[in-house]
Amino acid sequence: MACGVARRFGSKTALQPIDLELREGETTALVGPNGAGKSTLIGLLAGALEPSAGRVQRRAGTRIGWAPQRPAHYGRLSARQNLEFFARLQAVPRPTDVAARLLEEFELGADEEGSSSNLSVGMRQRLNLAIAALSDPQVLLLDEPAAALDPRQRRSLWARAGRLTGSGGAVLFATQALEEVERFADCVVILLDGSLGFSGSLAEYEHEHADRLFA
Amino acid sequence: MNRVRLLLGKDLRILWRSPALLAVLVAYPVAIAVLVGLVAGYASAKPRVALVDQDGLPRVVELGGQRFDIARTIRRVSDDVALVRLSADEASKQLRAGKIVASVTVPSGFLADLRGMVRSPRLELRTTAGGLSSRVTQQVQALVYSLNRQLQGAFIAANLEYVELIRHGGTGAFLGRRFEILGLDGMRRLLEDLPPGPRLDRLRTFARTASLALDQTDEALQATANPIELDEVREPGRSWVLSAQVQSYALALTITFLALMLAAGATAAERDENAIGRLAHGLTTLGQLVWAKVALAAAVAFALGLGITLSFGAVIELGQVEGGEPWARLPVVLAGVVLAGASLGAIGVLLGALARDARTASLVALGVVLPIVFLGLVPREVVPAAGWISDAFPFVHAVRFFGFALYESSPWEALLGEAAWLAGLGGISGIAARVGARRLLV
Repeated sequence: MACGVARRFGSKTALQPIDLELREGETTALVGPNGAGKSTLIGLLAGALEPSAGRVQRRAGTRIGWAPQRPAHYGRLSARQNLEFFARLQAVPRPTDVAARLLEEFELGADEEGSSSNLSVGMRQRLNLAIAALSDPQVLLLDEPAAALDPRQRRSLWARAGRLTGSGGAVLFATQALEEVERFADCVVILLDGSLGFSGSLAEYEHEHADRLFA
Repeated sequence: MNRVRLLLGKDLRILWRSPALLAVLVAYPVAIAVLVGLVAGYASAKPRVALVDQDGLPRVVELGGQRFDIARTIRRVSDDVALVRLSADEASKQLRAGKIVASVTVPSGFLADLRGMVRSPRLELRTTAGGLSSRVTQQVQALVYSLNRQLQGAFIAANLEYVELIRHGGTGAFLGRRFEILGLDGMRRLLEDLPPGPRLDRLRTFARTASLALDQTDEALQATANPIELDEVREPGRSWVLSAQVQSYALALTITFLALMLAAGATAAERDENAIGRLAHGLTTLGQLVWAKVALAAAVAFALGLGITLSFGAVIELGQVEGGEPWARLPVVLAGVVLAGASLGAIGVLLGALARDARTASLVALGVVLPIVFLGLVPREVVPAAGWISDAFPFVHAVRFFGFALYESSPWEALLGEAAWLAGLGGISGIAARVGARRLLV
């Protein structure tokens, strides 16, 4: 839950104070034009950024998976080494086995020992998502997760997100693709110039605000 | 501590998987160390000095009844300077162009003055205002000293011949004129034939006393000419290239380059790879990240320092060079290497955090490391301010630590002092790096 969370970078305000709650069993879409503050908000919720004001509350012991917009892993290490490293850092039990399973699930096994910087853009994004999935998270924060994925991988991604919300987890994803919002989101949050433009259910979004907000 | 270990392991694995980077990181500081060594070695190289012979010195000169081989004398001088024969015009031209550092002119009439023994012959030394001029002046002064010593020997020998003539009598020559002299012995023989009396006794006493006194002239003249003799004994110690100074500088310089640049690059790379956010997302603290990078610098410094120290030790062992403590103090040296690597690594982390991207960090680190090293090479006695500034950086303390560890017989107090400096500077840099690391998240 974000309570009055705001973020400035120097003199530039990236995000005005915002309240946001992710509820169990729901998928929330975060939409808005470029530079609206979507990545900043996700970074704040993930704990990768410190808020300039307000606070982020997390239920104690909640496992959070985060996939930033730009893949975050070490280019000199292989996909397997990246997964094992982050698994160990997160104290995941049996990190080698977990890494092997995720390599298979995200179809990264073909070049698992080569440097990940040599992977295709889509494969790097899959690795990014696999790292987010390492701790078997209860909350997934995904920043434009499907942008570089092929249709099959997208289906796999949304199936995984659906399984998580189906088991009582929560998913927040930022996107520019309105069809993804319509197909997969339960709730919608719209950011405009760092401010909250809308927050509500998908039905409210579709009937009342979409045309006006994106006009 | 486990997370620091994991981060360190990850960085070492990345380094291992980057052979080109690893090679550059090792080769670059070693190349710099060699270049600095060569520059320092130039200080003991032979400067080029012109010999302008306007008197047409013959190959062999006879002075005071002794023959001087001019060519051999010049060869002997060439142990210290590279003496080249040039005309006056050419010497002047080359001196202005900096091709020679000095010219020594033998003016016309030099040999005549030398043979006449009436007035001192003069040599003319011309130097420029370059850094080597004082050294060349010293070496030419040494040359004149050396020539004077040889000439003194000849003149003393010539004078002793005259003394012998006075003592024993005989035929002599001076300025080309020959003469006969009775001598004290002849005088005493003549006095034997004269009738005794008090005046004759006084003459006999004088002749005997004078003869005894002149008998001591040889040693007296030698002692007067050289009141203090300098005996030079060559010990089988280390040559310049294997000296304490070179080894200490090579170690410190290599570690400084390596630790500073590696820590700066590795820190900034966390942001370049976009991994810093993931790490900060509850996986590690910034403090742990700083520790990990400092540990990386120390670990790689240890590996390289061990290699350099073992190489030096092996060369010294194989060359049967005496002096120093290449093996017994190895653990102490390596402890210093780790401490220096960590201290310099902390500065590197600070630079990496401030620069925020790896390319800028590498450039900044290079920009910082060069003045640190070169300031440390400036002798404190020459520029005191350079010494004070150097004290604020770990390089000079590392140099002193290695010097004490390798060559002092009782180094412990001095080692503790330098270790305290390294730890203190590392601590201050580490705190600054922890504060600066927040910039990585921006």
